[in-house]
Formats: sequence, C-alpha cells, structure tokens
Amino acid sequence: MAVTPWQLGNIFGPRVAIQVKGDAAGRMIKAAKHPLLISGGNALKEMVGDKPYIEFIVELLKARSMPFIATGATYKDFVDRGLNPIKIMNAVEVVDRLRDSEWSIDGKDPHDLVVFAGLSYQYLSQLLSCIKHFATHLKTICLDRYYHPNADLSFPNLTEEQWIENLKLLLDNVKSR
Amino acid sequence: MEKRPVRFSLKSLESAGLSARDLEIIVGGIEIPEVWEPLGPTPMPKIFMLRSWDFKLLNRYKPFYMPFCDQCCLCTYGKCDLTRGKRGSCGIDMPTQQGRIVVLACAIGTSTHTSHARHMLDRLIEKFGADTPINLGSDINVEMPNTRLVVGIKPKTLGDLSHVLSYVEEQIVQTISTTHTGQEASSLDYESKALHLGMLDHVAMEVADIAQIVAFNFPKGDPNTPLSEIGMGLIDVIKPMILLIGHNVSEGVEIIDYMRRNNLGKPGEILEVAGLCCTAHDITRYESSAKIIGPISHQIRFIRSGAADTLIIDEQCITNLSLIEAQKVKTPFIAVSDKAAYGLPDVSEWPVEKIVSSLTVGGLSGVFLPDLEKAAAVSVLTALQTAPLRQKFKVIPDIKELSTIASKCTHCGRCRRNCPIDLPVDDAVYSLRLGDSSKLAMLHDLCLGCGRCEWECPNHTPVLSLMMKAAEAKIKTEKYKIRVGRGPILDTEIREVGSPIVLGEIPGVVAFVGCANYPEGGLEVALMAREFARRRYIVTTSGCSAMSIAMYRNEEGLTPYEEFSGVFEAGGLVNVGSCVANAHISGAAIKIANIFARRPLRGNYEEIADYVLNRVGAVGVAWGAYSQKAASIATGFNRLGVPVILGPQGLKYRRMYLGRFEDKESFTVYDAKTGRRVWIGPAPEHLIISVENRKEAMVMIAKLCLRPNDTTRGRMIKLTHYIDLYKKIYGKLPEDIHLLVRSEADIPITFKDEVLSYLEKVGWKPWELPSIDPYYSENVFKKYYRGG
Repeated sequence: MAVTPWQLGNIFGPRVAIQVKGDAAGRMIKAAKHPLLISGGNALKEMVGDKPYIEFIVELLKARSMPFIATGATYKDFVDRGLNPIKIMNAVEVVDRLRDSEWSIDGKDPHDLVVFAGLSYQYLSQLLSCIKHFATHLKTICLDRYYHPNADLSFPNLTEEQWIENLKLLLDNVKSR
Repeated sequence: MEKRPVRFSLKSLESAGLSARDLEIIVGGIEIPEVWEPLGPTPMPKIFMLRSWDFKLLNRYKPFYMPFCDQCCLCTYGKCDLTRGKRGSCGIDMPTQQGRIVVLACAIGTSTHTSHARHMLDRLIEKFGADTPINLGSDINVEMPNTRLVVGIKPKTLGDLSHVLSYVEEQIVQTISTTHTGQEASSLDYESKALHLGMLDHVAMEVADIAQIVAFNFPKGDPNTPLSEIGMGLIDVIKPMILLIGHNVSEGVEIIDYMRRNNLGKPGEILEVAGLCCTAHDITRYESSAKIIGPISHQIRFIRSGAADTLIIDEQCITNLSLIEAQKVKTPFIAVSDKAAYGLPDVSEWPVEKIVSSLTVGGLSGVFLPDLEKAAAVSVLTALQTAPLRQKFKVIPDIKELSTIASKCTHCGRCRRNCPIDLPVDDAVYSLRLGDSSKLAMLHDLCLGCGRCEWECPNHTPVLSLMMKAAEAKIKTEKYKIRVGRGPILDTEIREVGSPIVLGEIPGVVAFVGCANYPEGGLEVALMAREFARRRYIVTTSGCSAMSIAMYRNEEGLTPYEEFSGVFEAGGLVNVGSCVANAHISGAAIKIANIFARRPLRGNYEEIADYVLNRVGAVGVAWGAYSQKAASIATGFNRLGVPVILGPQGLKYRRMYLGRFEDKESFTVYDAKTGRRVWIGPAPEHLIISVENRKEAMVMIAKLCLRPNDTTRGRMIKLTHYIDLYKKIYGKLPEDIHLLVRSEADIPITFKDEVLSYLEKVGWKPWELPSIDPYYSENVFKKYYRGG
C-alpha cells in the first residue's frame, strides 16, 4: 500500500521517498562518506518517550561523528549537551549552498548525504523539495516520525512506539562494528 | 510633459444641431506640462524598462526555488513531470516554472488590489466627483510617493487617479500574458516580471487608500488617532449586530451613514457594527466606535458564535464557507461585491422592504446586492428585525455536550494531518472524552480557523465549535485596544527621522505586515513588535498583523498601542491601517529619499530603489503571510530594496531571494567619494527569506537592518542590537561579525573586548574605506560621481 505523506494534502510525485526502517537508515548514515546533519527547532519540542528528540540527536552525533548544524536557534541546547554545531545558519541558507555540488559546511569533501531531524513538517518538506530538484548529487534522509515524500529516504508515518523502536534500531546499526 | 486626462466644462452649448447645458467632456491622455520635478528616465515603466535593475538585484539575491508541486498542470499536454531537470511538453524547466508560478501569484495579488482600487475609485468619483481634491493637509506635500515615483505624475484629484490605475491595469495584462504556455523561457525574466507586478501593487494600494482617505475623510497621517476596541470578547451580545468581513470598506461607510441619517446613533448604542479582517480596520478609520473582532483566522468561529444578525461579505480575504456558516446560525447574508457573489440571487432591483422581508421571514438566507446604499439600508433593517427572531442562535455546543460529541473520536489523527500547522487537534479532541477541555482551549489562540480538521474528520466533529466552547471563558476576556489606522507618514516626521535612519542612528524601521497564518499564534507578532519598539526601532504595522499586535498586554495591563506612541519615531508603533495602507510604509522609504535626501521621484525608480537598498535600514516581517496579495506586496518591497522576512509557512511561496556572504563580488558597490568598487559586506544579506521560528526572526530582523551607508555611530548602534539579540539566543558572538565591522569605531562599546578578541582570532583587518557613498546601480553612480 502506498504511504501517504503526513500532511494529507501534501501530495508529491512522481518521485517520492523510499520508506526505510531504522536499521537501513542507520546503515546508510554509517556508510556515508561525508554526511551532514541538520537539526531544527522541533528537536526541543518533540518527545521520544520521556526525553526530548534532541537527546537522540546528540546520541547519534556522538556515535557517528559528522558535521552538524543546529537551526531554529537551538545552538545553545547542543552546546549545553557537550556538542558544538559547526556553524550557526538558518536552514534555508544551508540548503541554498547544498545546491552546489562542490560545497560542504566544513570546506572538506562535498557531502553525499544530508540527515534531517527536528524541523517542522511543512518547512522541511519545502527544503527537501529544493534538494530533490536542484541538488541531485545528494541523498537525503529524514529521521522524524512522519513520512516525507520529498526526501530520498524517510520513515513511514509511525506511532510514537514505532518511532522509538526505529530510532533505537538506527542507533544500534550506527554503533555496530 | 505627461499624459493626464483633461476636462472641459461648458455651462451651455448651442449649435445648429445640438443644444446642451452643464456639459462636461473628459479627454484622456492629453499631453500637459508639469514642472514640479524634472522627468526621470522611467515614467510609467513597461515590463522591460527596469529589467536591468532587477537583474542587478537578482545577481546579488539569487532566486532559491522550492517547488510546491513536481508537475505543471496548466495546459492539455500535461501533466508534465518536471522533476530533477526534466522539461515539459512546452520545453519549460522547473526553475522557469517556479518563476512563472511566482508571477501568477503576484499577478493575482496585484490584480486584487487594483480591482479593489478601481471599484473604490469609480464609486467615489461617482459619489463625490472627479474633481475631489487630494489634500492630505499641511504636513503632507508628497501625497502619493509611489505614484510620483512610478507613474511620474503628481495627482491632484480623484480623477487623476483613474489615469494612474489605467496604467497599472494595462501593465498587469501585459505581464500576465507572459505566463501563457511556451512564452517566457527564463526564470530570471519571470522574476523581473514578478518584481514589476510587486511595484505596481504598491501603486494600486496607494490609489485605493488615498482615494478612501480623501473621500471618506479618514485620518490623514495623524499620529494620535483614537484607540478603538478589538477582540472577540467585546461585543455586546444582546444588541443587534452587523458583521462586515473583507477588504472594501465602502459598504461599511454606507452603513454608518445610514445609521447617522436615521438617528440610530453610533455603533454600540442601538446596534453593533463590527468587522473582521481589513474592512474592520477601515471602518474604524471612518467611525472609531465600530469594533474589530480580529484577523481573518477568527472568521468561521465568530460566525458560529451567532453574534451577528446580518453578515456582509465584500471581497478578498473571506472564506468560501461564510454563506454556509451563516446559514447554520440563521444569520442573513448579503454579498455586495461582484467578485464574490456566492451564486446568490441579484436583488438590486427589489425594493428594500422586499429584500428585508425575504431575509428575515421569507426564507431567503442570502442575497447578492451590489447597490451599496440599498445594501446599507437592508443590512441595518435586517439586523434590527432579525435579532429578536433568531435570538443570537448559535452552533456552539453546551458544555455538557462536549464530551458526548467527542466520544465518537477514535484518535485517528486525520484532523491533525490536515491542519496547515500540524496542531495536535487529535489529542485535544480525544482529551474531551475524559472531560479535559484545557488542551482544546489552548489551541484557540493558535488555530488558523480554516476548518480543514472538520472536513477530514470521519465523524464530522465540529472541532472549531468545540474549541469555541472550550475557550469560552478566555474569549470573554478578549478585549484590547488598537490605534486606528493613521494612513500616510507625515513629511514633517520624515524630516525628523530621515537623517538618523539613513545614518543608522535609528537602528531600523521594522514593518510587521501580512496575514494570520502564524506558526504559533499571533502572540509572537506582538512580542516581536514590542521587543523592537523597546529597542527604539521604528515599528510600523498593518492588516492582520496590526490586529495581532493589539492582542497582548504588558505587565501593567497595557496593550502595545497604549504602551508606545503612534508617531513615526524611534520607539513608535505605527498602525497605518488595512492591507492597502502598506503603500504608506513603502511610501515612507521613498519619502526619506525624496524629502531628506532630495532625490527626485518623478519616474526615477532605479535611483530611489538604489537609495533605499543602500541607505534606508528598513525590513518587512510577514510572519503569517498566506495570500497572493502578501506575495505581491513583499515582492514590491523587494524591488524597492527593502528586505522581507517570512514566517516558516512562507516557504510555500516557493521562492526566496538569497544572498551569499561569501560571494564578495555581488556585495560590491560603487563609491561615489572615490569612484572605486568597494566590498560592503553582507548588508543587507538577503532580500526575502523564511525563517524557522521567532528566535531566528529576531536576529534576522536586526541583521537585515544593516546598510552600507551606516555611519560608524549608526553601525555601532545596529551592531549593538544584533550582537545583543544573537548572544541572548545563541549564547555567543555572531559568526559573521568580522564581515560587518568595518573599523574599530563600529564595535559596540559594551562588547568591545569580546569582539576585538574574536576579530583578532579570525584575522580581521580594518577596511580601507569604511565610510563610503554607496551605489549599486552604475547608472545612478555615474549621476552622482564627480571625480575623475
């Protein structure tokens, strides 16, 4: 059965995201050569069980070192948790530069994968649309609870329990040798 | 020389075959001399005439597209898949398609204001005469800066404005024709056309507002307009009530006049007259005892409250559901605009008594009545006669019914998934099953009021009605004060603040404008407006944003309009009025160039836009922009060199104009002091950008007020606010501070050591030319450069 986007009217196509589970998402992040993580303001509001989503993102970043940007004015929240985002930028400003196939946030090799977590649904949907059309050199994956058709890879719409389970699987796979 | 209509009046004319008295002949387009200013290079510009300026802007602020749809569905070849570099049957690619959609959006927005202006103007000319003078009082000589600038005329009468609108109408047709299948093949050229439409929009808005100001004697820039009342809780629900929804105040004025003629007192004495959306702003400009219910998001909920005994719909930001909702609560419905006739019978030829009888006891739920004088009589009489019959019939359930209605909820979540801002409606309704209405009550302030949740619910749960009941106690306390829209900014005010704005000593002019598609409620707009007024920026506002700003109280119980002055000054909070009054905000920027800097306006767009971009630290904030009108307004500000910040929903406009600080060449200008090309840093960095949340917006506002012309003292003041906000929100110094500090004198004293230490770390060197006379346009630079 086809997966509907979380926002019911937000139908995209013909190219839509492949649904993944946590294990595949974890393997993908682990295998990426130079991934970039973009975390948004909802990382503080969304709860994963009894913890804010940002705690999971921090754990992921500790398990898989990669440059990351804290958008939505969440920079301090990462610093408080012992991590330093590489830059303070608005998500639109980052995606603008991601259209350039040679660009990377740290000036090293170009990114091959962009991991999104904690941006509001509609905001991210539009940013993913830009990457889908104009940054075809990139793969995108979204770790939020809801299906994002404009990504390359996305979780389907999940219950909170399913989401927790998939995030755990993701972490297990990132951490595995 | 310019083209303006010429009017011949003859008391009597006798000839062999003709006898006439009081003959008036108007001939359009006669060349007549005007000597008030030399004519600039682009009077009444056609599509391509400002293309070179647009391309300059688009070279620095490049279009950034986020398609809202992967296909094009506009012709019978389609649907065409434009994904990832594919082209459609006509050959169009995705960037060009996005530019085309932006042009269509701006054309819709500009047409809407122009059509509004035309309707208003033709009616006012018919009612008051084409000779009605445009006189805004002794403090305003530059009466219509947008019109002077773009069209190149100094209008003196309402009749002159008809000529102005004819130009705008012709240009809209020319521009929209370029969106036909297979025409324009460049996204940049489409963007130039969108910018053209945006500029025209400000002219049309100016015509609409000035026409109503002079004809209805609205406030003419008075900073001390009265405080009017706003809020869902202020309506006396006992008295009969007429509710006006829309944007064209003509009908509201007729109603007030009818009440005056028939000894029915002021609104609130015998019957209430209240409005929603911009009609509400404008009715208070005519009669301040009329009341404002709130922004567009309150429409459905307020209709359902049953308070209105007659509902008048005019045009623009109205919901298609208003007739259906009015029928639910037995409120007679009168559509007065031919742009929104709702399929209702045209009763223009019926006598008033017959219409009233049909609406009150005759079983007719609504009528189309474009005769506004007749509609006024019908509205008042219908409200008076219907009130005792319908007894404020409402469809808001009783408190005891809430849990029963909610008991059908299966928590499927479809309501949330159809909510434009993803509100947890499902959790709130499901909680009602257990008798907890608090979650639903909390959503009242955040809800956009569109009703999509209800259409999606498999059980047809009336979510908005439940919300109204759950928030009933709070709604009753919703009583605030708003300063009546004052219209234009006075020339005398511009003389006072022109210098400190251009030198940077007033840190910026921030305009909170646009609709109510807020990500987290209208409170955020009030908080931002208050923050920047307290920081002594000049804060201006209009439309739904002006209403949302009112719905806040400080620690002393004062609303922002009571806390801050209405003067266009540092720390002022200036409500200009309805959407069309936005032209006075762009007009203020233009006036600064003209009155303070003595730059000629007449047909001189590129020079003035160049001036504004480089010297006037103004920024627009459309936090809840949703409509095509908001798109064209913002795009018009952009062509004039004013950056705009959109709330997160603004990404759905599909296009931003983004600068990149690392692209140094694009941030290079001509310095008329030395004749050299000079890098200016990213000031302002973007022309239109959507941010994720309020905190990001606060920092972005302060940053986008920076201009290359800032003096060291001005730059220091601007950086003080930027750094202070940045540190509060991010906990550290701005990472781009080295791109913005030109010399040590720019560094705010409070942060001196910290900033110097950072600058040393990143290898910053003082700029060779920190103080320049900047021009982005080579044409304008050549005009002012006197060197070798």
